[in-house]
Formats: sequence, structure tokens, C-alpha cells
Amino acid sequence: MSFDIDIVLRYGPLLLSGLWTTVYICALASLLAVAAGLAVALLYSLPFHPVKLLCRAYIEVMRGTPILILLFILYYGGPSIGLTLDAEPVGIVGLGLYGGGYFAEIFRAGFQSIPPGQIEAARMLGIPRRMIVARIQIPQMLTLIIPPSTNQVIILVKESALLSIITVAELTKNTTQMVNETFAVIEPYVAVALLYWLIIEGIAFAGGVLERRFGRAS
Amino acid sequence: MESKPVVLVENLHKRFDAAHVLKGIDLAVDSSRVVCVIGPSGSGKSTLLRCMAFLDRYDEGRVYIEGRLLGYREVDGKRTPDSDRNIDSVRSVIGMVFQHYNLWPHKTALGNVTEALRVVKKLGKAEAEAIGMEMLAKVGVDDKAHDYPAQLSGGQQQRTAIARALAIRPHVMYFDEPTSALDPELVGEVLQVMQELASDGMTMVVVTHEMGFAAHVADEVVFMDGGEVIERGPPDDIFKRPRSERLREFLDTWRSRTI
Repeated sequence: MSFDIDIVLRYGPLLLSGLWTTVYICALASLLAVAAGLAVALLYSLPFHPVKLLCRAYIEVMRGTPILILLFILYYGGPSIGLTLDAEPVGIVGLGLYGGGYFAEIFRAGFQSIPPGQIEAARMLGIPRRMIVARIQIPQMLTLIIPPSTNQVIILVKESALLSIITVAELTKNTTQMVNETFAVIEPYVAVALLYWLIIEGIAFAGGVLERRFGRAS
Repeated sequence: MESKPVVLVENLHKRFDAAHVLKGIDLAVDSSRVVCVIGPSGSGKSTLLRCMAFLDRYDEGRVYIEGRLLGYREVDGKRTPDSDRNIDSVRSVIGMVFQHYNLWPHKTALGNVTEALRVVKKLGKAEAEAIGMEMLAKVGVDDKAHDYPAQLSGGQQQRTAIARALAIRPHVMYFDEPTSALDPELVGEVLQVMQELASDGMTMVVVTHEMGFAAHVADEVVFMDGGEVIERGPPDDIFKRPRSERLREFLDTWRSRTI
């Protein structure tokens, strides 16, 4: 068996273009997932039953649906309800909402991990609820939620390969194009595996830095 | 003119589902007085203090803080829960110290003390820190101002928690078993700070198992059992001349455990 590095070099620009698309789609989807997750976790902590029920439904639907089905519904089903989106926005929204279900659970566990006595102490000092969330709960949660959040972003990056099926020109889609054009299999897939590995190592490194930064006081 | 009590509790009832844990408590705490609440575990004394701060919602009766009803609004005899803002306003004169300190572990001792000054009183950093250092010095932990709670002993943590409560200049301090979580050798330093506060004229309500403290510092001792006040009076009467069988038994049990 031989490994023809020339094929990889020849298709370098195509792979790098796919790499860039994967990176920015995942970055935007992660931001959306974190925002959605935080919003749902905060709403979930309110003492209103219907709101809790809606939050639970969102979490259960996102966790209970394969990401590919969600993407199909958004991309192919969207036009039938008057929602026509390009593949990339569908990818960002689909991945973001999907990840949001998991982030909501990560944040909810984070909120629950703060001893209620700390919140009572803050309330007795007259600190408003929103400031308790911003200054007492979230900073402490960070140390606890950074490791599972890092994992979640890594999973999101790996799931993003499925966007190739709805025609997003990301890393996997461009690699498949390379395979189709060259009939080579090993070189393209080893190269793309290496590129995914690099992204994921980067995320893991960033997660480690954040963990050390915010874990200092705990 | 007779001044109103700082804290006035009238016919207070609290139920947790089927359990009736407070059965009509009355209590008046006048300015600069120290009231110690004693009693066996499960007698309802901590619940009483928490209801007096509206950390637990009471079901019947009233709690007045400096004449203002805490926790509820009453219009034409109809009672509705009050807004968070009003509750915060009524209890802004209460400082509370908890059994487990409840310091925020991601903030230094000074950060814990200055937090409410910055966020609630909206003071600038320098001014808040000056007050914070003054409060930490008052409880003797100013040399630990920049340490995190995890770096402090239990006694130092509780003293920091006292400084945090004092920083907002409360008119009354509640202590909920402030020494129960401490190693025995650390109890004294916390009690000493509390005793100094009492000498300075601070109004205090102290739920405690420290009978020595109650005997020496309290103006009034309240003995609770089974959700009721069984006996109340000056410490000498309570500890030396108990009238009720239940108080006698409680004190006998306590004495038999004390060497």
C-alpha cells in the first residue's frame, strides 16, 4: 500500500476551504447552542410550570431526535412552511438548536451544583436575582461546566460532518468530492481525519486553558 | 415614648406539608437586645429564624421588621405575597449569618464583604474596599482579606461571613447556629466576635446550642420544643430556675454531655 501525498497537496485548497467552512459553522453553531442552552436553563429555574414544561419539551426533542433528521426537517421540510434557507444557515441553526438541548442540561446541572445557602446569603444582602445569576452562579458554574462544554463542542464538530448530506461545502463534503474525482480513498480520508483531529485538539487545548483560568479559585 | 421593637413576631405558624413546625410563636426583640433561642434539634428554632427573614414563607401570623410587615401585603384584610423588591427593602436592615457560612468560594474574603456594597449600595471599588477592610478588621481577619474561603479555617470563614453581613450596616443580626459546623477549638473566636458585637449594642437574635454564650450574653433566652415556645426569660431564670419539665430535661441532657 502506498500513500500518495501529491493527491493531498493537489486538493489542499479544496480541503482548506472545507476546513474554514467547518470551523466557522461550528463556531457560530456553538455560540447559538450556548445561548439557547443558557436561556433554557435559566427559564427552567423559574417557578412557572408551563415554562418548565416547554423547556423540558425542547430538551427532550433535541436529545431524542437524530441530528440528521433535524437537518432534513429544516432543509427539506422548511419550504413547505414557507421557510427557505440556504444549506449553511440551516446547518448553523440545526447544529445550534441540537447542541442547545445538551448545553441546557449542562447549565442546569451547573446551576444545581451551587449550594442554595450561597443564594440565600446573597438574597439576605439584597442582591437582585439577575446579579445573583451573573455574579454568583455563572462564575462558579464555569469551573464545573467547562469540561462537559468542551466535550459538547467537540461532539458538535464531529456531527458537523453530516452537513455534507444537505450539500454544505464543509470538510467532509469537499473530501467526498476529492474521492469522487481521484478514486483515491485512503489519502483523502486520512487527510480529513487529520484535519478534524487538529480542530478537536485545538478545542481541547482551549478548554484546558479556560479550565485552568477559571478553576483557579475553586 | 416607647420605641417599637426592631423585630416583632406575632402568632407565627409554619407547616411543611403535614408537619406543623411552628405553632403560634410570639417574639419581640427590642433595640440593642440579644435574644438567644435554644432547644433540641427539630424544635423549629432555625425555621423560626428563617421565617423571620422570609427565607422560608410563613403560613399564618406576622413578622414586622421595624414596623414593616415582611413577606406579605395586606389590603382590606386580604393577604398576598409581596414583591421581591419590597421584601428586599424590608429586610435590608437584617444581617444574617448561617451555620455553613455560605461564603462565595470564587471571591476572596474581601470580595465577599464588598459584593453587596458594590452591587446593592453601588459604592465605588475604593470606598467599598475601605469599608470591607474595616469590617474584616473588626472581626480580626483583615490579614486574610485576599485569601479565598478555601484557604481559611472554619472560624475565619465564619468571621468573614459576619463581616459580610455587617458591611451593609444592619440594624439587627440573625445568627443561625453560627458555631455548629466548627471544630471545637474554633468556636471561641467566633463567639468572641459575637460577644463584642453585643457589647457594641447590636440587636441580635441567636439560634444556638452554645448554652455558655446564651447564659453570659443574652438579655432574654427563649426555649423552644415541638414548634412552641415553652419558656422564656432572663438567662439566670432559664438556666438556674427552669419552670417546665421539658426545659429541665433539656438542660439535664446538655449538662450530662458537658464535662
